[in-house]
Formats: sequence, structure tokens, C-alpha cells
Amino acid sequence: MKFFSAFRKKSPWVLHYNAGSCNGCDIEILAALGPKFDLERFGVINTGNPKQSDIFLVTGPVTYRSRERLVELYSQIPEPKVVVAVGSCTTTGGVFRGMYNVEDGIDRYIPVDVYVPGCAASPQLIIDALVKGLDVLEAKSKEIEHPFKLFGTIEMIGNKLSRLNMAKKVEQHEKN
Amino acid sequence: MIWVWIAFAPILGGLAYGGERVLRARMQRRQGPPLLQPFYDMFKLLDKRTLIVHSPHALLAVAHFFILWFSIVAIFMGWNLLYIIFLHLFAQILLILAGYSVRSVYSHIGANRELLMLIAYEPILLLVAVGFYLESGSFEISEILQKGGYLTSMPLLFAALAMVIPIKVKKSPFDVGEAHQEIVGGVEIEYSGIFYEFLYMSRFLEYIFIYSFVFLFGGVSSWVGTVLVAGTFLAVNLVDNATARVKTADMLKIIYSIAMMLCIVNIAGIL
Repeated sequence: MKFFSAFRKKSPWVLHYNAGSCNGCDIEILAALGPKFDLERFGVINTGNPKQSDIFLVTGPVTYRSRERLVELYSQIPEPKVVVAVGSCTTTGGVFRGMYNVEDGIDRYIPVDVYVPGCAASPQLIIDALVKGLDVLEAKSKEIEHPFKLFGTIEMIGNKLSRLNMAKKVEQHEKN
Repeated sequence: MIWVWIAFAPILGGLAYGGERVLRARMQRRQGPPLLQPFYDMFKLLDKRTLIVHSPHALLAVAHFFILWFSIVAIFMGWNLLYIIFLHLFAQILLILAGYSVRSVYSHIGANRELLMLIAYEPILLLVAVGFYLESGSFEISEILQKGGYLTSMPLLFAALAMVIPIKVKKSPFDVGEAHQEIVGGVEIEYSGIFYEFLYMSRFLEYIFIYSFVFLFGGVSSWVGTVLVAGTFLAVNLVDNATARVKTADMLKIIYSIAMMLCIVNIAGIL
């Protein structure tokens, strides 16, 4: 409903995932959430639960082992959702670009809305990126968004979406 | 008039929750969210797509909320204190069933902890009710509020009640049931969208439920009751900011060794 869409901007709940990062950006994210930079004044809560989150903060260049988890976490976040790629590694691969065990950034796997440069990205930049992400979140519709890889077709049971069947497919891919 | 209060009970609790978040932020020298933040969260949750694990699981959250609301109705109407405590117990058991009904391991751990919390605080609440009965001669809230001077005759029961408040509102040191960094919300983990909103609102009602027990200690003078509620609210948040989480077993030991002793000594004194 149009009336409620205005409130998306006021309470973005954040899910933070480390896709093989060196922990530099993770520390900066925690600094941004802490008392000094105080992200909570925008209504941000670090939920740690994909089913209750709006904004997906990803750090790290996506190692091979973290791909399936990244895609599964992304598909468990209910729409509308926004992905923020924090740090050079996540946007382009950074110093790890071209290495045999990384995937050069998350935008090969999931659609990214906001990119944050920096190694490590500073808390000020992360706050700016989140505020930018809020505008994107407000404009989004509740259409189903799906990852580019490891996902396949959308599974339905009757006229309802079946996340379980989609998750099983990711699991199957992981085994092969 | 009383029906208006009953209808707006979740809003009242939401304001208490929002105020508490601001208070905690100010205690940590930061600005904190706006006062109406819980309502913004609620409106946002209405706008999200909802994922359901299975329908009884979702229904149990709704039932939990409405039975909790009914126990608040009973408090505002001045009904029997024991009746209110057991209604609240029923609501809590529905939540625990919901926790066990899904396959998530975190949900099961959360439900286990929720049960242990129930075992910890339920006897204290009952003993407080017994204390009120011994002092006023009735379990009816409307009759309890006719008399005064509860604080002088049962100070130890008040101390025991103050010890179990953090369990009920999920604050440190007794926030094992929610434990966000550890089990990601426990029984809440599989809920999303509008069904999570019912759990979010039932947290507001828990505030009203437990703080109305504090208010009863004021007796006939509602001023004393209000001051007690405000003081306890501040103290609980101060303790929340200053302490770390204790383990579930330690929580049980602390409550059973200290709070239970306080209750028994005080009731023995009254008798």
C-alpha cells in the first residue's frame, strides 16, 4: 500500500554477511552501528536474520565456499530489499581480483543497488551508502527479485512462491 | 473510558518501548532512534512480503498476541490476579509450541530457553500474588487497589519482582531467550512480515503486563505506583546497559537462590 511505503525509509533493518572479507570492512560496519557513528538514529537494527531484514550489507570478494550462502541469504530476504556492496573487494574484487579462489565481486551473483568503494570503507561512507539505499528501497516495488546464478527458475506451489524448493535447488548445486 | 485504554494498550506499550530505546541511547551518549520508531517498524513490516513456514506456526503467533491482549484486558478491568497470571502462561505456551513446530535449530533452542525462563519467573509472580492476597485478603486487582502500604509490608517481594522484570522484557543480564548475536531471536527466527509484527507488538504488551505488577505495589495511591514504575524502568535499563548476558542455567540458579529466598522470607514474615 502506498501509505505504508513511506515508512520503509524510516526503519531499515540490516543483515550483514561476510563473503570472505578480511574483516576490515566488517569492523567499520560495526563502528558505524556503534555509539560513535550511531546508525540507530535512522532506525537501523542489525537483525542478523534474513527473514526480517530490508538491507543486505555484504563485504568480501565472494570466495567459492561462500557463493551458495550468499545466494541463499539473498533469496531469503523478503521483498522489497536492497543490496549494498561494502568495500573494494565486494564491488570489483579489489586486491584479490583475478585470483583462482574468488569471484571478483558480488554483482556476478546478485543485483547490487549501492556500491561503496574503499579499503576499508570508512563508517561515514557506509552511512552515506545506507542513506542512498533508503531512497532505492522506497522506490522499489514488491516484485520478486532473483539472483543471476545458482538459482534457476522460480518454483511455485499453486499460486504461492515456494522458497523451500528454490533453496533445495541451491543445495543440489552445492553437492555437484 | 476503560475500553479506550484497553484498545490502545499496544500503542501505550509501543510508546514505552520507543521511550526505552531513546533512554538506552542517551545512557550510551548517542542520539538514538525517534520516539515513534516502534510504530515505523510496524508500518514497514505491513509493507513487506510475508514468508510462511506453515500455517499453524503463523497462527500461533497471532493467538499468542490476542491472548496476551486479553490478559491485559483482565488487568485493566481489575479481575483476579491468579487468572491473569495463568492467562499469560497460556499465551507463553503457545509461543513455545510455535518455536518447536518448525525445523530451525535456533528456534528449538529459543523454545527451550523460553521454557526455562517460564520456570524461573512464574513462581515469583505467583508468590507476589500470594503476598498481595495475604495483605489485602483478595486476589481481585480492584480490591488490592483499595488498600495501601504494600511497599512497607512486602519490600522483599518487590525486590524479587524487580529481579524477574529483565527476564520478561528480555533485557541483560537475563536476555537468554532472545540473545540476538547467539541464537538470532530464538522463537522469533522463522517469522517475517505481518506475522513477525504480531510478535513485535506482543513485546509491547509484555511491558504493560510486567510493569502493572509494579504499579500494584503503589496500592490506593496511584502516584506511588507511577513513581515506582518510572524508577523500576530506569533501574532495569541501567542494569541492561551495564551487564552482560548470563547463561540459562546461571539465570535459574540466581533466580531460585536469591529471588525465591526473598519471597519466602517475606511471606513467612507476613504470616
